[in-house]
Amino acid sequence: MTLDNAKILIGDDSIFARRQLKDMIGSWGNFTFIEAADGQEVIDLFLAEKPDLVLLDIVMPIKDGIAAVEEIIDTDPDAYIIMVSSMGTQTQLRRAIEAGARDFIQKPINSDHLKTIITKRFEGR
Amino acid sequence: MYTQFFGNFLLNKDVISPEELIKAMEKQAAIHIKFGTLAIHEGLLTASEVDHIVIIQTHKNKRFGEIAIEEGYLTKEQVDFVLEKQKPSYLLLGQILIEDGKLSNSDFENLISDYQSQYEIFDLESDEEQNNLVTGLFSSFGEPGNEPISQTAIDYLTLLFNNLIRFIGDDFTPLDLVAYQEDYPTNYCISQHISGNISIHSAMDMDTDTAINFASRYANEDFSSFDEYARASLEDFLNLHNGLYNVNMSNERSVELSLTPPEVHSDDVLEFEPPSYLMPIMFPFGILHFILGFH
Repeated sequence: MTLDNAKILIGDDSIFARRQLKDMIGSWGNFTFIEAADGQEVIDLFLAEKPDLVLLDIVMPIKDGIAAVEEIIDTDPDAYIIMVSSMGTQTQLRRAIEAGARDFIQKPINSDHLKTIITKRFEGR
Repeated sequence: MYTQFFGNFLLNKDVISPEELIKAMEKQAAIHIKFGTLAIHEGLLTASEVDHIVIIQTHKNKRFGEIAIEEGYLTKEQVDFVLEKQKPSYLLLGQILIEDGKLSNSDFENLISDYQSQYEIFDLESDEEQNNLVTGLFSSFGEPGNEPISQTAIDYLTLLFNNLIRFIGDDFTPLDLVAYQEDYPTNYCISQHISGNISIHSAMDMDTDTAINFASRYANEDFSSFDEYARASLEDFLNLHNGLYNVNMSNERSVELSLTPPEVHSDDVLEFEPPSYLMPIMFPFGILHFILGFH
């Protein structure tokens, strides 16, 4: 598996949460990170940058994470999006998967779980 | 769990003043012996094994001893041996108050016996015990069963205390809630709304020094100034706690709720509709003020 040079878009309104994800994932490989602080910025940056993986919070200003998933999947059905949220209720989980997200990580983030998911995404690259 | 309430019990009995309690808690924080320290002292773990477990603990909601067993560092028998040497924090608090001459040994013996019988502390992990302790914080409102919102408030506060223990530390004392109906003047305050069948307006307010200490503990990082990461970590704590509350309500009570992004109010005035409550929580590094409206 090679994780080098993969492009990851992190959408979270919290600069603290974005840094936490970058610190964890950055210790496993050489990634390029792109950051967005609201749902609309996530969509705009996805279209401009075409990242290999999107990690997305749900509760965000302007447009929430699930609305962003719907719009991204509309333009690119192969987009690889994983929700990372403290709000892992049954309803949110279902909405996210129905919108086209591949997986859901409940905060606080378990690094082993995150690593398994990231590894799965970049297996064989 | 929930030995935090012993300080509140002592205040309610007028045994000590809030200032005396803060002083005792500061000392307690300094001498609180952690599992890892004890295990090193007993020659069962090396310092690097302890560091490794502490790192794992930041990502796993597990006790130190459980991880030590999983990692193959200790056997269950060794963990039990160390646990027997760990004293509940209320014994430590009592010990400090005795050393400072605030209590005699026999005062302390009687208070412990009152505290244990009042809260029926037999199984420290039981839900019922937690429920009783949290319900006790509403004592100034009479019978909490008379208020239709009380179970929501009790569920919310029980999770709040568990999350404070889990993410910040167990060295705090919650004070009794007081009814709050005025505008609240903030220092540095984060607020967030939960909405749906239940509506909760939550806010936590503190001064800058307290905020830096709280943020440092939450982020496991020594913030020397109140920079944007320190500020963002406070929002992250409230957002995480409220998110987990919504998950619990969904799983346990089949109630689906939603959350707004956290808002910052610095030197501002917050409006709360009754019934709202103000609850100070004392940590050795300062006081957090939680303001909660349940509707």
